[in-house]
Amino acid sequence: MGLIEHTPLPRLQPIKFVLNWGRRYSLWVMNFGLACCAIEFIAASTSKHDFIRFGVIPFAHGPRQADLLVVAGTLTDKMAPALKRVYDQMPEPKYVISFGSCSNCGGPYWDSYSVTKGVDQIVPVDVYVPGCPPRPEALLHGIVKLQEKIANEDIREKWSGKLTAPAATS
Amino acid sequence: MASSRRPLPPPEIESRLRAQFGEDVLAFEDQFGHAVVTVRPARYREMARFLREEPEFDCDYCDFCSGVDFGDSGLEVVTHLYSTTIGHHVRLKVRLAREHPVCPTISDLYPGANWHERETAEMFGIAFEGHPQPVKLLLPEPFEGHPLRKDFPLMTREAKPWPGAVEGEEEEEEE
Repeated sequence: MGLIEHTPLPRLQPIKFVLNWGRRYSLWVMNFGLACCAIEFIAASTSKHDFIRFGVIPFAHGPRQADLLVVAGTLTDKMAPALKRVYDQMPEPKYVISFGSCSNCGGPYWDSYSVTKGVDQIVPVDVYVPGCPPRPEALLHGIVKLQEKIANEDIREKWSGKLTAPAATS
Repeated sequence: MASSRRPLPPPEIESRLRAQFGEDVLAFEDQFGHAVVTVRPARYREMARFLREEPEFDCDYCDFCSGVDFGDSGLEVVTHLYSTTIGHHVRLKVRLAREHPVCPTISDLYPGANWHERETAEMFGIAFEGHPQPVKLLLPEPFEGHPLRKDFPLMTREAKPWPGAVEGEEEEEEE
C-alpha cells in the first residue's frame, strides 16, 4: 500500500489501466452464503454459467485471501457481527456484492423481528443484485458491473480515503 | 425395529390416562388419529414420565415442544410424544396463565426437548422450571421481548402497514 501511494506510476493512464485490468479479472470471491441465494451463487460458479470465465475465482481459502465478498441470503441480527468480522478480515482493496432481496433490504422478511434490513447497514456494498432469488445470470451482470466500476477506479484516490463512485445497481 | 404391538387407538389412550390421572386430565381429543391430552401443569411432568416408562405406551421420542398464544385466555405448551416401537402419537397440552407462565421441564426425561424448551421460553416468555440451561437459543442475547406472542410489536409495521392485508381482515386484527 505504501509503495503504490508514494510512487507516481498509478497516475499514468496506461499503468492505471493495466493495474485495474489485472485487479478486475482476478477477483477471488468469498461466498457468504446464508440462505437459498447461496445455491444460485453456486449455480453461477458451475460449468453452465461459469463465472470463472470473468476471472472470478471461487473458493478462496478464507477471507484473508479474498477480494470480493458476496453476501447471498438472509442476514439476521445475530449473524451480523460475523459478517462484519469476515469483512474486516479481508485485505484492501475489497468489494461487496449484495446478492438477493434479503441482503439488499430484508426482502420478504422486511417486517421481521430478527432480520437485518439490508447488509449495507453492516458493510459498504458496491453492487446490489435484486431478485428472490436472482438467477445466476443476474449475478454475472452484477459482476460485470463491479468490474466496470473497478476499471474506472483510481486506486490512489481510493486509498487516500476518498470514495470513487457511488454504488451501482445491476 | 419391527414390533408386533399395534398403535393404541386414541380412545384406549384416553381411558388409560384417565384411569391413571383422573381429574387432572382436563380434556381429551382425537385429532386425525393422534391422542391430544390437556393436563394440569402440576402433573405434566408425571404424565410425560408415565408415557415414557409405561411399556404399553413406550413413548420414547419427543417430536417437538412448542407454544401457542391464546391472547387473554393464556398460553399453552404443546409437547408431541411418539413411540418409535409401537407407532402412536400423544400430544400433551398445558394451559398456563398469561402472567408469569411457568411450566415444568421434561428435558431430563427427553434430552431432545432441551433446545425446544429454550426456544419456547424465548419466543413465548414461558419459564421452564428445572431446565438445566435456561438461556436464549436463537435470539441474540440483548434481545428484549417475546416475538411469537401476539402482542409483540413489529417496529417496521408501526411505520408501514402490511401491504398484503385484505379489507376486513385488517379490522379483525385490530379488534
